[in-house]
Amino acid sequence: MYRNLKFALNSAWQSFWRNLAVSLAAVLSITLILILGGVNLLVGHAFSQVLDGFREKVSVISINVADDTPLQSVYSLQDQLKVDPRVAGVRFITKEQALDAFRHDPNNAVLAAQLDGNPLDAKIEVRVRNLSDVASIDTLARQWSGVDPTNPTNYQGDFVNRMLQLSQWLGYAGAGLLVILVIVSVVIVMNTIRTAVYHRRKEIEVMKLVGATEWFVRGPFVIEGVMTGLIAASIALLLLVIAYPPAVQQFKNDIAFIPLSYDPAFLSSLARDLLLGGALMGAVGSYIGVRRYVRI
Amino acid sequence: MVLTPDFDSRPVISFQHVWKTYPTGTEALRDINLVVPEGDFLFLVGPSGAGKSTLVRLLIREEKPTKGKIFVDGVEIGRMKRRKLPYYRRKIGLVFQDFKLLPNLTVYENVAFAMRVLGEPDRLVQARAAEALDTVGLAGKELTYPSNLSGGEQQRVAIARALVHAPRMIIADEPTGNLDPATAWEIMQLFLRINARGATVVMATHNREIVDLLRRRVVAIDAGQIARDDRSGRYHDDVSKSQVRAQ
Repeated sequence: MYRNLKFALNSAWQSFWRNLAVSLAAVLSITLILILGGVNLLVGHAFSQVLDGFREKVSVISINVADDTPLQSVYSLQDQLKVDPRVAGVRFITKEQALDAFRHDPNNAVLAAQLDGNPLDAKIEVRVRNLSDVASIDTLARQWSGVDPTNPTNYQGDFVNRMLQLSQWLGYAGAGLLVILVIVSVVIVMNTIRTAVYHRRKEIEVMKLVGATEWFVRGPFVIEGVMTGLIAASIALLLLVIAYPPAVQQFKNDIAFIPLSYDPAFLSSLARDLLLGGALMGAVGSYIGVRRYVRI
Repeated sequence: MVLTPDFDSRPVISFQHVWKTYPTGTEALRDINLVVPEGDFLFLVGPSGAGKSTLVRLLIREEKPTKGKIFVDGVEIGRMKRRKLPYYRRKIGLVFQDFKLLPNLTVYENVAFAMRVLGEPDRLVQARAAEALDTVGLAGKELTYPSNLSGGEQQRVAIARALVHAPRMIIADEPTGNLDPATAWEIMQLFLRINARGATVVMATHNREIVDLLRRRVVAIDAGQIARDDRSGRYHDDVSKSQVRAQ
């Protein structure tokens, strides 16, 4: 086993260098594809960061309480919501607390100075577990007798729905792009290895005639594919790591209202994905590329 | 009729009513019955396209018979599973007309290659390769590349590679086809020595002189059928020779 592995490793290494032009072409092509894949992952991550921020905001729905609603009715709704599986948390804010918060918000400084009395409603703030449940909680609130009929909740149905749709479509688009990139990579590796195999068909023929097993013949090519994938993934990763912080900074400078931030923790998962992806694509591409010639 | 030589040794190869038809419809072999005892030296002769190479390919299981059975060492190779084929081929030493040497490997590496494929330890590979090269008279040429050798020397390397894992059977397809008569004769001496050590040798050849000189078993194939099986034969039988003379 060890001897066969040593042979396969030596053979793969020699083949990589012997067919250097073809090997480098494959490394370059896969690097470009992995960069695209990595950018796709980074953009996906950035979007999910931004979406998380929005989600955080819109997953809290405020139910405005009419001034004449008895406190008992408020507590009753609060208790009902607390046991609701869709709800993550409930908080009651009195009129006074609402006014206090309003006054403390520097954006409202001018308006607060002109306020006479307390025009604000008391509120029940409900945090939902899933964004898709906000609509049903809104419906429930509107049916409650104690809700302020002129301004029942702060729910903006269209916005939430659009955001949900957007995040869903972005997810599909990202996954679709990744699938295309993976297929292209596999085809590139497959053709590269097929070229290498074609150069070495005589050697393979001799191997088979002297009694080499299919895996003994296939092993070096699969290892060569993995090597190609790993080298390409390392180069792609290095370039992405260098380019990521300035790209985020540039984005923040240009579009300040989108809360995007540099996330170094994501780089470790990006490294894992690219290296694993590169190795796997190399292995699969080689396996398919060599199959026709290796069959005994 | 099954042509069974009256030998005492146990049969190593047995063809039983073997037919081979290629997908193109070409009938390469028709109802071949042949028994080769252990230690036999057998020449397969016949005109080009008669079916000699097909018979060799069936024997090394590059092809499967369309009908009939082929037994080697008691195992029916036509029904052998693909994953068992490498282990079967390790029992055979193969020599071809075009040598099938790897040009980027040295003489030693070419011979050692057959052992490396088997995953043998380095020390054994070195000892066996040196021994095989010594047997074929190429000791001292270990580091030479095939392109720097004569045709005869290249065929010697191929024979050393066929011998290195000590097979009990050597199958050679026109091994002297690319060699001048003197070199061909030297190569035949090697095969005779290998046979004398106990290995069974099956050789497809067009070399009339060698077949006639050695007077070993001759199986003549014509139009896909066994036309003749002589225990101590010549390239042409006496009848066909007289026909040739008459013409």
